[in-house]
Amino acid sequence: METTAVEYVVFALCAVIVLAGAFGVIWFRNPVQAALSLVATLFGVAVLFLNMNAQFLAAVQVIVYTGAIVVLILFVIMLLGVDVEEDLEEEPLVGQRVIALVIAAGVAGLVVAGVTLGGADLVSGARSVTGSIVDDVSNIEQIGRLLFTEYVFALEITAVLLTIAVIAAVVMSRRPSEVEPLPAENASMEPPEPMEPEAEEVFD
Amino acid sequence: MSAPFAGSLLVGQTGDPLLFSVDAVAVGIVILKVLVIFALLLVATMFMVWFERKLISDMQNRIGPNLAGPFGILQTLADGIKFFFKEDVIPDKSQRKVFILAPYLAFVPAFLLFAVVPFGGDFNGGNDGMVTIFGRDTYLQLADPPIGVLFILAMSSLAVYGAMLAGWSSGSKYPLLGSVRASAQMVSYEAALGLSAAAVVLVTGTLSTHSMVTSQAGDGPWGVLPNWGILLTLGVPFVIFVIAGTAELNRPPFDLVEAEQELVGGFHTEYSSIRFALFFLAEFMNTITMSAIFVTLFLGGPSGPAFFGPGWMWGVIWFLAKVFIFLFMFVWFRATLPRMRYDQLMDLGWKVLIPLALGWFLVLASLEVADARQWNRWVVGAIAAVVLVGGAALLRKSVRSGAALRAEEVLD
Amino acid sequence: MGQYLPIFVLLVLAVLFGAGSFVASKLLAPRLPTSAKLGPYECGIEPSREPPRRFSVRFYLVAMIFIVFDVEVMFLFPFSTVVDEVGLFGLVAVLIFSVALFESFLYLLGNGALEWGPVVRKVIPGAVAPSRTAATTVRRVGTEGRGRVPAMARAADDGGAAA
Repeated sequence: METTAVEYVVFALCAVIVLAGAFGVIWFRNPVQAALSLVATLFGVAVLFLNMNAQFLAAVQVIVYTGAIVVLILFVIMLLGVDVEEDLEEEPLVGQRVIALVIAAGVAGLVVAGVTLGGADLVSGARSVTGSIVDDVSNIEQIGRLLFTEYVFALEITAVLLTIAVIAAVVMSRRPSEVEPLPAENASMEPPEPMEPEAEEVFD
Repeated sequence: MSAPFAGSLLVGQTGDPLLFSVDAVAVGIVILKVLVIFALLLVATMFMVWFERKLISDMQNRIGPNLAGPFGILQTLADGIKFFFKEDVIPDKSQRKVFILAPYLAFVPAFLLFAVVPFGGDFNGGNDGMVTIFGRDTYLQLADPPIGVLFILAMSSLAVYGAMLAGWSSGSKYPLLGSVRASAQMVSYEAALGLSAAAVVLVTGTLSTHSMVTSQAGDGPWGVLPNWGILLTLGVPFVIFVIAGTAELNRPPFDLVEAEQELVGGFHTEYSSIRFALFFLAEFMNTITMSAIFVTLFLGGPSGPAFFGPGWMWGVIWFLAKVFIFLFMFVWFRATLPRMRYDQLMDLGWKVLIPLALGWFLVLASLEVADARQWNRWVVGAIAAVVLVGGAALLRKSVRSGAALRAEEVLD
Repeated sequence: MGQYLPIFVLLVLAVLFGAGSFVASKLLAPRLPTSAKLGPYECGIEPSREPPRRFSVRFYLVAMIFIVFDVEVMFLFPFSTVVDEVGLFGLVAVLIFSVALFESFLYLLGNGALEWGPVVRKVIPGAVAPSRTAATTVRRVGTEGRGRVPAMARAADDGGAAA
């Protein structure tokens, strides 16, 4: 199937959204705004998937990534109270900027090398493997057939991965002592002392 | 491709036939349809607000709105117009950009959600609800993507952002508490929503909302009952979906988000003027759309017998009648049920609905496979029931040991 | 892709509607900001405390386990559409997948990670703490912003004397 003019326009628009979002993630100093830029990027990628007729992946992209993972990121930002602007002068992990620079240069080099040296096989303009193989069949059925026949082992490994994630989350978030006794109970167990600090203060 | 099913790849193309090849006429029809639906949605939302106030007042022995128009039916319009003339306050402590963005994130998904709902058409005698507008065949629904059900889930997962960001960006404590509650609640019930929707997909075998209605319009069990999702899934996913849907909407008895005794107005406390109106609009529009989704997934959508006149019109009538049942139900919930406590809400979602929805899905899948292999349905069902009960017992034990960790012994 | 055209048109229309509403509100609404109006809503009282900056870690756990279930649901949808073709093999695959998740879910619940209620206090029958006096068992609330209430001060002094 030929790439139509509409597909080019959609691609161009999404590319702009994706790149602008990615840029925003780095640019915004406020973590919440950075996370919202990430939403824009993920949304753009979802539309790009649609453009390639990979409908199921587009839906998963929105439901899992924007609907769950970025929500988790926002939860962490909001709940841990780190939603203040970061001080860029400080470097929490020493040496990370140099390493990041090296990795970025390496990735850029790889992309350039791939595009220039790979030839027509790599950048042929053909639909990616994410698209449906036959245009008339919904992509989700093809994925279902493959997932529950050929790639069933990968599916079960995913289950193991998710299990590890849950258990790790529980272990990491658990306090050393299960229940921290409330201060009020402490007061009732020990010899009585003047109630609460507020009661001691005299207000005029 | 080396899949063992390569031979069966060619099945019919799904989707609205109008959009198979898009030309100027098709675009014109699409724009016309969108404008009509948009206007009708706004009117329906206005009606819903009035209906809720009027019905609640009836249930509480009050009169309710009665001055603007006959039976006060124009009250919402008057309120809506008034919002435009109210001062738009953006608090000093708010995060301005996010504060402005949040209402959009709440009401745009609310609008988009309705796009995949089939709301009319004749589905009798093998018809597939096709109508002809300006010589083009089309469905009485805006769009019929092959992933319709996933689209619904995607939009409802985006709705979290409106509540979450509105509360966070307000820079005030009640909205923040409200939004934290709201987002955790919406996230918790979304999994139950998805699992029970998957049960319907399992029995109808399709993700497209239109095909779902076509499949539900056929002859059902024993030839007398309708072939609705509620019967094919044996009822339980319907109940779970309705409960989870109510919680997704933050409607009573799950309206902890705007528990006015504790949290003033919840996440939109700091919003005023038109920004508040958009949240309000989104809330009621979501109520209507969620009812329409209940109908589409479980009650056969617009399918139903046609008597006289054009068949598509009867589709619309059946659709509206079915949606109305749920609108009434939502108002009735609000008038009758006390608000849940937060721990009860979380317990219901995580410890009851999600495990039950998952278990029920697996039971239904086992029955499907049993039918395909011509095993005895009852034996398979009995085994599945035993496994389900065993799982429930494990769950109960686990919940108890979790609860024991929170208990402590004290002297009297 | 054509199937998404109406959704796109609806999106544009919804955004235009929102933007139009804001423009109309800008033109029609008065603008008389005062410092009280622009402050955080607190029923007319000046906020005495900043909004909370940290919340219970359970919210994080809820979001985390939600991702897990969301991924599971996403795998169930392709299975649902092809259940007739993948048959028993697919069913067993889904069962293994679900059991693995269910087991981690049980671990989560068993560790009390989703317990939200207040701490349950089990009273040991017959045992009474020696420190039970009026000063220690009555918890006074709403004293914030008030002067020293005579009765309260007396109770506090009594408590101190008992020690």
